[in-house]
Amino acid sequence: MENMPEFTLHRPDTAAEAVKLKSSDSTSRYLAGGTDMIVNVRRGIETPETMIDLTAIADIAAIATDGDGLRIGAGAKLADLAVDETIIREYPAVAQAAASVAGPTHRAYGTIGGNLCLDTRCLFYNQSQWWRESNNFCLKHKGDVCHVAPGGKRCFAAFSGDVAPAMMVYEAKIDLEGPNGSRTIPLADLYRNDGMDHLTLEQDELLVSIRLPKAGPGAVSAYEKSRVRGSIDFPLAGCAVRLTEDDGKIADLRIALTAVNPYPQMVNGLADFIGKALDDDALDAIRELVQKQAKPMRTTTVRPWYRRRVVGALARKLTVRLAG
Amino acid sequence: MDGNGMPPAPITSIGEPLPMVDGPEKIAGKALYTSDFYDPSALAGAIKRSTVAHARIVSVDTSAAEALPGVHAVITGSETDEGHGVLPISRTELPIAHDKVRYKGEPVAAVAADSIEIAIKACDLIVVEYEELPAYYTAEDALAKDAVDLHDHREGNIERHVEFEIGDVDGGFADADLVHETEYHCAEVCQVQTEPHAAYVEYDGERDELTVRASTQVPYYVHLMLSKILKMPKSKIRVIKPYVGGGFGCRTEALNVEMITAMLARRAKGTVRTVVSREDTFITHRGRQEQTIKIQMGMTKDGRITAVDCKTIQRGGAHSGYGIVTILYAGSMLFAIYDLHNVRYDGKRVLTNTPPCGAFRGHGTVNTRHAFENAMDEMSKKLGLDPFAVRRVNLIPELGFTASDQWINSYGLPECLDIVEKASGWKERIGKLPPGRGLGLGCSHYISGASKPVNWTGEPHATVNLKLDFDGTVVILTGASEIGQGSNTILVQCVAEVLGIDPSRVKVVDADSRVTPKDNGSYSSRVTYMVGNAAIEAANNLKGMLVEAAARKLEVSPEDVECLGEVYRAGTQDEGMTFEEVVMAALEGTGTITAKGNFDTLPESWGGKKYRGAAIGGTMAFSYAAQVVEVTVDPDTADITVDKVWVAHDCGKALNPLTVEGQIQGSVWMGMGQALTEETSYHDGLLISGNMLDYRVPTFVDSPPIEAHIVESNDPHGPFGAKEAGEASLAGFLPALTSAVANAMGVRVHELPVTPDRLLQLLEDKERKMRSAAE
Repeated sequence: MENMPEFTLHRPDTAAEAVKLKSSDSTSRYLAGGTDMIVNVRRGIETPETMIDLTAIADIAAIATDGDGLRIGAGAKLADLAVDETIIREYPAVAQAAASVAGPTHRAYGTIGGNLCLDTRCLFYNQSQWWRESNNFCLKHKGDVCHVAPGGKRCFAAFSGDVAPAMMVYEAKIDLEGPNGSRTIPLADLYRNDGMDHLTLEQDELLVSIRLPKAGPGAVSAYEKSRVRGSIDFPLAGCAVRLTEDDGKIADLRIALTAVNPYPQMVNGLADFIGKALDDDALDAIRELVQKQAKPMRTTTVRPWYRRRVVGALARKLTVRLAG
Repeated sequence: MDGNGMPPAPITSIGEPLPMVDGPEKIAGKALYTSDFYDPSALAGAIKRSTVAHARIVSVDTSAAEALPGVHAVITGSETDEGHGVLPISRTELPIAHDKVRYKGEPVAAVAADSIEIAIKACDLIVVEYEELPAYYTAEDALAKDAVDLHDHREGNIERHVEFEIGDVDGGFADADLVHETEYHCAEVCQVQTEPHAAYVEYDGERDELTVRASTQVPYYVHLMLSKILKMPKSKIRVIKPYVGGGFGCRTEALNVEMITAMLARRAKGTVRTVVSREDTFITHRGRQEQTIKIQMGMTKDGRITAVDCKTIQRGGAHSGYGIVTILYAGSMLFAIYDLHNVRYDGKRVLTNTPPCGAFRGHGTVNTRHAFENAMDEMSKKLGLDPFAVRRVNLIPELGFTASDQWINSYGLPECLDIVEKASGWKERIGKLPPGRGLGLGCSHYISGASKPVNWTGEPHATVNLKLDFDGTVVILTGASEIGQGSNTILVQCVAEVLGIDPSRVKVVDADSRVTPKDNGSYSSRVTYMVGNAAIEAANNLKGMLVEAAARKLEVSPEDVECLGEVYRAGTQDEGMTFEEVVMAALEGTGTITAKGNFDTLPESWGGKKYRGAAIGGTMAFSYAAQVVEVTVDPDTADITVDKVWVAHDCGKALNPLTVEGQIQGSVWMGMGQALTEETSYHDGLLISGNMLDYRVPTFVDSPPIEAHIVESNDPHGPFGAKEAGEASLAGFLPALTSAVANAMGVRVHELPVTPDRLLQLLEDKERKMRSAAE
């Protein structure tokens, strides 16, 4: 189908102007790479009359080191993150996550800002207008039933961005610009556990840049996702691990997950492993911990129990790999 | 003698790896596909689809849609009461549902408007009132005793029940040392060809005539069905097949997209262009049905099959489509690959409230072959025999007729087996691979065109015309549908070979009902075999005319003319005539030359009469393939990596080794999709996987190295010995994959596709069993 609803396109050259344009039209949407949103526009999920193209904003795509670490403009392309030497060297999980998003053409268009602000996904939501109508719509959009958990009043649509967990294990912060000025918050605080409303952004607030603090000495990291195909697919489950070892013992361990909940989540309880040796018992315990905290639901065609199994397996596998 | 002092010689085209003749246009983006036809005045067509699975249509209110500015035509099921379908006995599907809808997504109305956005808006304004009926999404539910019939003429929702017994099956089981029963389940799959369905139809109001361009494999069937549903004389319709972006069987019958577009164009008295979405293309469907296959097999202790009992149920969807043919193939193609004498078959094609299935590549054979080959592998393990040895002991000992009266004239399966056994290092490696790695074998076969056409008209199976004029260009006029498989290239090679001329002299004009001879279409791998043979006959007839003309000029008798392709001469010392000179001589007194060639199948190949429908499965030549698949399985995630595939395909003679290799690789790759990742899934009859994210076709990254070997058994009746090259290598992949996984992990997955969740479940079950056994 060649259907493309009409809309007005603005292309501001500052973030402030973008926010102003956004505030002036309640039907408007920010547009960066558009690789995910335009699909939803064609499906009638999003119906913006105005789109505000962010790609002309000065420095929006810049990747630069500053005193505190690395600053990545929200408009930087995923393909650029995947090959950036500093990111590969200092934050390997971030480069690996960026390289694993969708296919090469998506990465050439898709931005890091878009990937972090990605809408949650569900089999019953990412469908055409006709399809959703035939299914009486759903809690997340136009309907009052959740087809994943009928009877419930919660939406379980899964956050499926790859890069968020990789940045969260580095305690990334994000710079936001809104009608009431700018603020900087931890990336983890951008999200809440609600598939219908998973972003904590205030009305018309815009993600401008991401700050990755200096990586600690000796820290190594990795990201991997489970998917049926080796390319294109969103994660069925994704896992980022950052490990620091000291003399064969765990000095620091952070794990973050994606696609197994409505938000990217840090795994809790890992502090208990500090000082322990990375033996089979510890690795199995890490796997158990991860599996327990992942709560995948039937939001994809692959069964939830498998996604829970596999996210634990990924955490264990990556930890072993990082331990060398 | 030419300038280099070499004697002139006919130019060889057959066996040469000639790049496809339509390649440059495709690579340069100049090739025009249906959706590339565009006129500013063309209206956009859109289809409104049913939101319910099974219901009586109480009313369709189109008033608001018709009142919308920019709308030129709104049509509903009342536009035609004529049904369409492949077989004359099952033309019960309407292009737009009238009294009843039978699946979610069935067209209920259509609109032509100034833009696609207006057309979609108008569709939204159409109000359909339904009175819902019980709906059945599985064959089991549709077969239940109290189930409501989807169609009046199909009691119990059985489209066709095929039963036969050939030989003495119970006696065969009594003679067996091992009788083994096993069951396999194959998910429904779609073709996912690159080009979504499209139609571009111009209506000439002055003359009440239609010109139709459609993305189809069968322009002739489209022509017939348009005439039927529009109630227009065939002479008022012209069907042109532009470039087509793949078919694989989903365009082997006239589809509602082209029929609806034609009805809209006539109603709007203008040109309508419909390019449907990927989701609509999935729903239009005609993919491979969901199927359960139960096989009971008897074997002697040396692996010889003594009897086979096969029971199968296919979920066919809401309309017949090719269903009757499919369920017949699933039975008849149990034969003609191994030496079988005692076979019992019970096949049911069931109507359900899901989109209609069709003739997917490897039509009817793939799922049954999957179960059959797995049964052989399971039994070889039980008997302690090598899977290759089990295949070899069951090879067909001599050419001729099978117990089911299918005619085998060439049989390269033994050589296929030898090649893949050696190339894969099977003997040295089987049983010695590290944990998590495994090898599996699968064999398969296919027909080279169905010997009896579904529309019996008394005409030859294929006709090709050649036109030769003053410019010395040999123009092939063919109705055969080039859909990317390379049929135009093969016809050029056949004609150039017979005439011995440079293939660049030969051009093709194809698939335009006003210009080219009728052709049944591109399906069941019939084109190379049948149209190729017709092209050879046409070229021989043309050559005869040229030789006679040369004889006249050279003042010798035709027998004394030596045709060297670009030169005709009467003796080795004679300088002879150039091709152009011969052409001019031939045109004297007659003007433009037209030569014609036909092909007809021989009655021996018609498949016999041992049971009702036995003609389905009759062919002039069977192709054969064997393949070995190597896999690595990750024990923690059950992710399967296909490391390599070795495949050998007996195509009789590789007319073009380059395109044959491409076809083999494509078949293997498509089999891999069905085996590993692809399946349609439904939520209350709604196709939940109607997009390319949730329907997972393998990507480049997932594609293993495929080592394709060509076996040439030289079929006595095939064009230059050729037979089918584009389908047989598909089916073998599936059982080779499940057998390789079984070899690697010790568990056999009986359900396709072998996704990691299915495999992990079995691995965990196995581990649990071992643990409890140890305790």
